[in-house]
Amino acid sequence: MGSKAIISVIGPDRPGILAAVSKLLLELDCNIENARQTILQGEFAGIFIASIPEGLKPAEINNRMQAAVRPMDLTVHVKSLSLTPFAAGCACEPFVITTQGPDRKGLVAGITGILACYGVNVTNLQAVFRGGNDPEGNVMIYEVDIPADIDSQALYADLREGAKALDLSISIQHRNIFEALNRI
Amino acid sequence: MLTDREILSTIAMLKNEHLDVRTVTLGINLMDCVSDDLGRFLNNIRNRILGRAGDLVRVCDAVGEKYGIPVVNKRIAISPVAVAGARFSPEELVTVARALDAAASEVNVDFIGGFSALVEKGAARGDSALMEAIPQALAETQRVCASVNVASSKAGINMDAILKMGAVIKRAAALSADRDGLACAKLCVFANIPQDIPFMAGAYLGIGEADAVINVGVSGPGAVKKAIDRAMASEADLNLGRISEIIKKTAYKVTRVGELIGREVAKNLNIRFGIVDLSLAPTPNVGDSVGEIFQSLGLRSIGVPGTTAALALLNDAVKKGGAFASSHVGGLSGAFIPVSEDLNISEAVRNGYLTLEKLEAITSVCSVGLDMVALPGDTSEETLAAIIADEMAIGVINRKTTAARLIPVPGKKAGDNASFGGLLGQATIMAVTDARDNAFVRMGGMIPAPIQSLTN
Repeated sequence: MGSKAIISVIGPDRPGILAAVSKLLLELDCNIENARQTILQGEFAGIFIASIPEGLKPAEINNRMQAAVRPMDLTVHVKSLSLTPFAAGCACEPFVITTQGPDRKGLVAGITGILACYGVNVTNLQAVFRGGNDPEGNVMIYEVDIPADIDSQALYADLREGAKALDLSISIQHRNIFEALNRI
Repeated sequence: MLTDREILSTIAMLKNEHLDVRTVTLGINLMDCVSDDLGRFLNNIRNRILGRAGDLVRVCDAVGEKYGIPVVNKRIAISPVAVAGARFSPEELVTVARALDAAASEVNVDFIGGFSALVEKGAARGDSALMEAIPQALAETQRVCASVNVASSKAGINMDAILKMGAVIKRAAALSADRDGLACAKLCVFANIPQDIPFMAGAYLGIGEADAVINVGVSGPGAVKKAIDRAMASEADLNLGRISEIIKKTAYKVTRVGELIGREVAKNLNIRFGIVDLSLAPTPNVGDSVGEIFQSLGLRSIGVPGTTAALALLNDAVKKGGAFASSHVGGLSGAFIPVSEDLNISEAVRNGYLTLEKLEAITSVCSVGLDMVALPGDTSEETLAAIIADEMAIGVINRKTTAARLIPVPGKKAGDNASFGGLLGQATIMAVTDARDNAFVRMGGMIPAPIQSLTN
């Protein structure tokens, strides 16, 4: 397998960011294998994994990329992709943890701290804080992989206790229920 | 990656709209427990039930917790006792009922159904004994449910059995008079009974079924009502065709929940998964009512003109959504309209919007029939039989299931309140047209099976 680089780009959103990044990768004979972007409150964040030709160093990509996106006020980071992601080989079950409640500092820290203690990996996090005390307006959705060999009852109990202390309502459900209900 | 909309709408259905799995029902075949010795028979059925159902409640609770969907009831359906216990006398069959009750209690299930007989074309010795045993069996047990199929579209209507069931119901009410005739709430008289109903009181394991099977009954009238309400509030050009589409999609979701839970329970118990019964089964809680759906559709109450058309739309859309969601749909599958179990329907009776005659009319397009209907205590055996015969005729002629769960409440009259407790709820007693000297039902015999052509 050839070398791969991971490129992260962050900065104020505007038209042309993806065009600039992908054009440069094409010029460097790199092939984009995965890409994901999101925009939070006007701020763009993108992450790209690309296979790179033999002899091309990530540092060189980094230099060229910095020059290309500097006019757009973007920050770029490029490095070699280290393989063996955390989840590889781990027997896990995918769950979705949803919390809702009045906004305050420490909500995400409180929940993720408990997850980390049990070795639960968060694979996707969506948090929407519209502010205020309307519980419906402040939602945190954690998609997680729960290892099969941990004491799940103890995890659930700690999560419920942690949520209660943070004045949050919490749902812990296997991911399949959402797919069964919403997708054909 | 799931979208936030998918996740939040699912959680809203569970939290605010009473979506749940109403029952996981384990069917257990008792046919090879048969013995001519009562003691051995009782021992065999106890061992079979404990062996098969010992883990049912634990597994249902664990699967329910995994998906965040409560499995409200865990139940058992057994082979018809009139067949498995055909050898025994009525008194001995009451002993069987007590043993079933004890076994059900031991494995902690809510109900055990199958104290049943199939007599649409005639009653065998065991069937007659079972019908004779029903009043005492139901009055003396907590969890045993009974059903008797007295008619089918293939066989016709067994009027002798119907007359007998009029007397059985009357006797069951008398034996539980201190509880407003509660024993009758555990007894259903059927036309075209399906073999795989997970809901009570009609659940039994059909003769054509395997050794054991998991059938699931889902519910969700609250989810349907909320979906209609949301559309009413947000869609300017909403019409009934669009409403049907909305109900269909909601029924799809509800059914998918049931199949997911049922298959996982079946897998964990190493038992075959059978069917999802996608019925809208109400409870006496606000927001969990079929009756409220009629009000969302613009009717003042269930029972007013327009009700039959609205229920036809609802029942059909539920079936279509469910049939698309799962290839294994069975049981009753449609909208239930149990009077006492639905707070809104019970109110409609109290307020005079819903009469027995209108209720009977709408059963021609619902999925069950005259369900949990409280009647005056002095309603005669013949009148009860005549009401049952009318209901059976609707089922037989329209080739659908119909049932009658009638409760003549001892010592009470039309307009009084009857209370059955828990999910069985309470109801205002409905007036019955004076039907003294009903010679028709005493004539007996069979009303022949209907012609299958000339369908006008």
